Amino acid sequence: MSVQLSDELVSLLHDRESIKLLATTDESGTPHVVAKDSIHISEDGTIHYLEHLESSRTNHNLVRAIWFDRRVSIVIIGTHQSFQIKGRPLEVHITGPLFQKHYAEVRHRLGDVDLSGVWVIEPLEVINENPEIRRQEEEKRRPFFRHLDRLAKPLKGI
Amino acid sequence: MSLALAGTLHAALSLNEIVAKYPDIPRLIIIKTDVQRRGIHYTERALSIVDPAIHQIRSPYLFGSRDGAIKPLPESLLLRDGTTIFVDPTPLEQNPYQVDLVEGRLALVDNGEVVEFVRLWEKPLYYDQKTSSGIPMSHIASARPQRLNIFQSSYCHFWAEQKGCRFCDIVNHNKQQKHELGVPVRLKPEDVSETIREALKEPGRFTNICLTAGSVLKGKDLFDHEVDYYIETLLAIGENFATKKFPSELISSAFNEKQLIRLYEQTGIMSYTSDLEVLNEEKFNWICPGKADTLGYNEWKKRLIRAVDIFGKGNVGTGLVGGVELAKPYGFGSENEALEATFEEAESLAVNGVTTFFIVWVPRPGSDFRGQQNPSLEYFVRLASGLHQIRAKYRLSIDFNDYRRCGNHPDTDLSRLL
Ligand code: SF4
Repeated sequence: MSVQLSDELVSLLHDRESIKLLATTDESGTPHVVAKDSIHISEDGTIHYLEHLESSRTNHNLVRAIWFDRRVSIVIIGTHQSFQIKGRPLEVHITGPLFQKHYAEVRHRLGDVDLSGVWVIEPLEVINENPEIRRQEEEKRRPFFRHLDRLAKPLKGI
Repeated sequence: MSLALAGTLHAALSLNEIVAKYPDIPRLIIIKTDVQRRGIHYTERALSIVDPAIHQIRSPYLFGSRDGAIKPLPESLLLRDGTTIFVDPTPLEQNPYQVDLVEGRLALVDNGEVVEFVRLWEKPLYYDQKTSSGIPMSHIASARPQRLNIFQSSYCHFWAEQKGCRFCDIVNHNKQQKHELGVPVRLKPEDVSETIREALKEPGRFTNICLTAGSVLKGKDLFDHEVDYYIETLLAIGENFATKKFPSELISSAFNEKQLIRLYEQTGIMSYTSDLEVLNEEKFNWICPGKADTLGYNEWKKRLIRAVDIFGKGNVGTGLVGGVELAKPYGFGSENEALEATFEEAESLAVNGVTTFFIVWVPRPGSDFRGQQNPSLEYFVRLASGLHQIRAKYRLSIDFNDYRRCGNHPDTDLSRLL
């Protein structure tokens, strides 16, 4: 089931300065994580990833994901926040107007490069990876998960 | 190969049963295969959203369609993984898939159930242009989503001797095409060059050029005139490129070494295919009498293997019309027997650097095999899987003829991850 992305996350996705990582898995389930600045959000709320290389490991893993219904993960890191989006590839445009629009745009921006496809990823879950927020969440939901010394009364005189 | 040869065939299994039985084969590729096997029928609702200004309408093709008619219907379909379905409109009484409009989108529908959503092919910009000689450019080069097809001549000399391949309708179809659309039977190199120049103006539209035609037997050596004509056309195409070589495939008769060297050295061609059509000498002699009489099965094979020294491993292939090996009355008696024979021969070619791929046999009304039934979906899935596995085992690349640069072979769709 698709989830809607918060305004904060959307602006982080739009920000060219944020770091964006895409994690996929290969045939044996081994993760493959790469930094990709060609990840952006589309008007319909799906995430688009521009794959430049037909034979890249990420592209092969995305093909496996669309063929065998596997998930992918995207991490977006800004100056003060970070989020993880779990999603699934819905479609890849290897031809047609969306493809050709991006093909022209990347060549305008980057010079003599190619484009293999525009992957459309449906966001299924968003996790706020800000460490302070994650800590507060865990302490609220899993009160047993802490060391006792953290709860001890401060000793007098120390 | 184990998967492909495993299992005994019982009553034909449904699409969903095949998907469940072969979890290692992507459902989307199984759907494509079944749609090609059974054909499609566009509902009126589906046709209501077809816009000839945007969508590609059926353009001239070397072979005819299974309804024997030339109608202004959409060219074909795309699946969401980028897989092309190259498929003919098919009479309703043959139980094709329906292409219908569901929630505003086009969908493949079977027994009232949505199987998968699909997209139509977009029309390339050059389709609206004419050559300086006044011929519509769509009659010179027909487009696939990422490939340009040049059918330089639509006559095959085997037909003149009543020895055309029994599944083929090239001459009957092209007479009809010439009569109804005015498509030229033989293309002029200058028209081809001009059309390619126009097609290349659209950024990101094409990744491959495929050149093919019927066999021409004339010349000092057998096929010399066919080679001359290909060289002339390829040089005309090459005028448009800054590099000598450009991604391309030639599908032609089985040429001798001298002819292949001329082709490779003088032109920009990068890969070579010569179709054996069926991988068994006895069936070949029956199904392809012209090829059998002029060169014979073993010489055809030898020429393919020799071509590897010229074009390189992974750049030479042979195409099969998958399923004709089971045609009546002299085809194989069982699907298992047919698969075993095909894989054995495909492996003997692969050892020598030649890769094998197939198209799904569609019994066309203009062919000798009209009215026959093609094999089960399971047969085609096992054939695709087996040919893919042979390619993987011998590390043969299929980049010149894959899901994108061709799109007409279920087995090379599977090889997308090689
Ligand atoms: S060689 Fe056979 S398949 Fe090819 S055009 Fe001639 S008759 Fe048809």
